[in-house]
Amino acid sequence: MKKQVIIFQLNDEPVEIYVDPAESLLTVLRDRLGLYGTKAGCSKGECGACTVLLDDRAVNSCLVPVGKVQGCKVETIENLSRGGKVHPIQEEFVDKGAVQCGFCTPGMVLSAYALLKENPQPARDQIKMAISGNLCRCSGYKQIEEAILSAAKKLARQGNSIT
Amino acid sequence: MSYLTVSTLEEALTSLSDSSGKARVVAGATDLFLQDLPHSLVDLSALPEITVVEEKDGLISIGAAVTHTAAASSSLILARARALAEGCSAVGSPQIRNIGTIGGNVINAAPAADAAVALISLGAEAVLIDVNRETRQEAVENLYWTYNRSLVDSSKEILLRLLVKPCLGGEGSAFTRFAVRRALALPMVNAAARVKLENGLVKKVRLVAAPVRPAPTRLIQTEELVINQPVDKDTLKRVEVSAAGEVEVRGSQLRCSARYRQHLVGVLIARVLKIAADRADPGKAGD
Repeated sequence: MKKQVIIFQLNDEPVEIYVDPAESLLTVLRDRLGLYGTKAGCSKGECGACTVLLDDRAVNSCLVPVGKVQGCKVETIENLSRGGKVHPIQEEFVDKGAVQCGFCTPGMVLSAYALLKENPQPARDQIKMAISGNLCRCSGYKQIEEAILSAAKKLARQGNSIT
Repeated sequence: MSYLTVSTLEEALTSLSDSSGKARVVAGATDLFLQDLPHSLVDLSALPEITVVEEKDGLISIGAAVTHTAAASSSLILARARALAEGCSAVGSPQIRNIGTIGGNVINAAPAADAAVALISLGAEAVLIDVNRETRQEAVENLYWTYNRSLVDSSKEILLRLLVKPCLGGEGSAFTRFAVRRALALPMVNAAARVKLENGLVKKVRLVAAPVRPAPTRLIQTEELVINQPVDKDTLKRVEVSAAGEVEVRGSQLRCSARYRQHLVGVLIARVLKIAADRADPGKAGD
């Protein structure tokens, strides 16, 4: 398609790019904006490695034509660490051994982040549902669920909002 | 223009007529990259009038650009069209449900699209408008042409909303499916039912299973069989045999053999009829 100007909010900063609107948000993030935290897995919406937040909702960035994010808010894994410190969800992923090869991790963390934004104290079933679109092929999901449960408790103890 | 997110219906229709067949409408766009890219796209996902679920003139009106996530959590749909909430919860993954729309689920015309199967069991009607500003209303099952092809030409017609008669006293609906995994798997079979009971007997019923034909398929013979019958063990046994006997299905190397799929149609239709009947008559649930 003919290139056009797309303006959107990326990790709290305005971004303006001149791009083919039918290019996927995933390739724009990685290949044009240099944000490699978002992983390219299956590129057809099955693995969830490319999960980002679009207007606060988890979506597969590989399936989103970038024309669609015009005027929207996009958040990637890069937005979670602040001042050199990782997010409590990320801390818990490390503490609970929820990271093996790490390829699914950014997507998992963002699905967890979207869940906790909407539901700060989820039950285990709700956690399972929230990460049901993210595949981990290393081992399983137990430690990941534990990490998310524990992050929810930690955030509640700290009494602060998720962001 | 090549990708235009419109903010009014008029703008959408004008863009379509100006592009004389080269542009087509899109909403969630989750299947866009799986198909040949059109020359231009008109994105409807921000149109206020097609992103709401509301009760209007005694009907539930579901905007075509309502996402599966929004439909699955709508209190109106949960209370009065439960099969649709269940069908929407079964589509793809959370990431896909968050952006994919009900209208897309219908117009994309996949033979076993979960939301479409539920809509057809509920007897939903689609409201469409074309570039000549002519509107028409059509039963959802009549919008299918062949496998993965809708009769609706997205370069000149827009699905606006789906209308469903709410399930009121004595009526219930349900959706179920069977797949290799509980998440992110296409169904071997999905099935949905809507039933109306009077004095414990079936007065009206719609039973739908897929994938059987290009469109989700009503099992008319089995529907006739249960009219004026109670939904008890004996009836359910006959429903299972009749439903499986009524369909001719194809097998798939990825999902299951034709024989197993046929068996599943019987099992799931009986199961979903029972759940719908329990919801129609909450006092009898668990019989």
